[in-house]
Amino acid sequence: MSRLGAVFAREARLAWSGGGGPAGPAAFFLAAITLAPLAIGPSPELLAAAGPGLMGFAALLSVLQSAERLYGDDFSDGTLDLYALSPMGLSLLCLAKTLGQGIATLWPLPVIVLLGGLMYGVPLQPSLMLAAALAAAIPALVLLAGFAGALAAGVRRSGLLIALIAAPMMVPVLIFAAGAGRAGFEGDERALANLVLTASVSLGTIALVPFGIAAAVRSRLG
Amino acid sequence: MLSYFSNPQRFDGLARRVIPVLGVLTVLLLGIGIYLSFFGSPPDYQQGDTVRIMYVHVPAAYMAMALYAALAGASFVFFVWRHALADAAAEVIAPIGAVFTVLALFTGSLWGKPMWGTWWEWDARMTSVLVLLLVYLGYMALRAALEDAQQAARAGAVLAMAGVVNLVIVKFSVDWWSSLHQPASVIRFDGPTIHSSQLWPLAIMALAYTMLAAWLVFYRLRSRAVIQRARQIERRKLQAARAAQSTQGSGA
Repeated sequence: MSRLGAVFAREARLAWSGGGGPAGPAAFFLAAITLAPLAIGPSPELLAAAGPGLMGFAALLSVLQSAERLYGDDFSDGTLDLYALSPMGLSLLCLAKTLGQGIATLWPLPVIVLLGGLMYGVPLQPSLMLAAALAAAIPALVLLAGFAGALAAGVRRSGLLIALIAAPMMVPVLIFAAGAGRAGFEGDERALANLVLTASVSLGTIALVPFGIAAAVRSRLG
Repeated sequence: MLSYFSNPQRFDGLARRVIPVLGVLTVLLLGIGIYLSFFGSPPDYQQGDTVRIMYVHVPAAYMAMALYAALAGASFVFFVWRHALADAAAEVIAPIGAVFTVLALFTGSLWGKPMWGTWWEWDARMTSVLVLLLVYLGYMALRAALEDAQQAARAGAVLAMAGVVNLVIVKFSVDWWSSLHQPASVIRFDGPTIHSSQLWPLAIMALAYTMLAAWLVFYRLRSRAVIQRARQIERRKLQAARAAQSTQGSGA
């Protein structure tokens, strides 16, 4: 367990030292939610209604934006070869690695959602609901991005390929997480149900996707 | 049986015999099916002649899903038993399935315009077929991006199997998502019972599409094998030429 903790901590530290930590995804997220109103127009009703969904979508894009880093570097420098040889079990290592890097880089997103809620004129309660749903969705999003990232590791221009592979897999998380915010805005009592569904999809991916990531890593190591 | 035909020569012998049979069946069944769907079946009492789009649309949607099942099945066989033929089948099936998916979406859109008054409706079923198209495209893009054939085969197999789990969850979540919308105000056509005058052309068209897909799969499998053999011969020629050059060089 402590060894898994060490992998987790290594990934978190690497995310800070090598790639600027949470700055990249946070800045991307902020840019996306700043540009969206310029595209759809300044009408306050429209923005408040579209806000939760837009922010959920922008959060998904910022996870994809940083997905290339998850497995690309460790594939080319041989770290993954060592992981595959370790007696710890590759799937556990991949789980610790992906979550370590994902949580270290993506934790500001729920906080920025609260800020975005103010910008879009979304009331506080649905904003909080969306922030909670996004926090619950981050493990699922980052693991799915990790699966796509492991499949496409070391490929030239892998960012595009990762986005194409991961997007269909992120459909359920996007529906439930953004749905929590939307239903909250509409005063629908299903907001809580959406939040719980987001958390359950996240738990399901934590249980299943590490095996997929391990299989993907092995298939690429040849 | 699978390991029997994983011998390339035996498979080639089978394919050589099966391809013309499937071709003839496809042309025959498509001919009968198209005749029946245009002239041999009555117009619908509600939809008039536009119901005839169903005969090209429903089999395409069915093939889009059946071919994904075949792709995933072939990937599973390759992943477990490492039959090269299973991987070849998966590679060959993907673009055919993608084309049937596009065909289903396109004909569905053509049918939706006169029936629902819109080219596209974000309803659960159409959305999941669109996601299926993305899954096909992702699979093909991954295979195209990986240069090492062995890596492409294995990574593709992992992705295709994960896609099955994903598509099931997408189906449920999209149902939930579209139930969050207000119910659609357009007229819905959901005939749980279908009259035999419509069932016959539909069944024959579905069979014709299946034969067409099988024909294309076998055809592409065989041409893939031929291409590989041609490449091998070329490589050997090149090697022989190089060897001859080096012996000449050392002799002089």
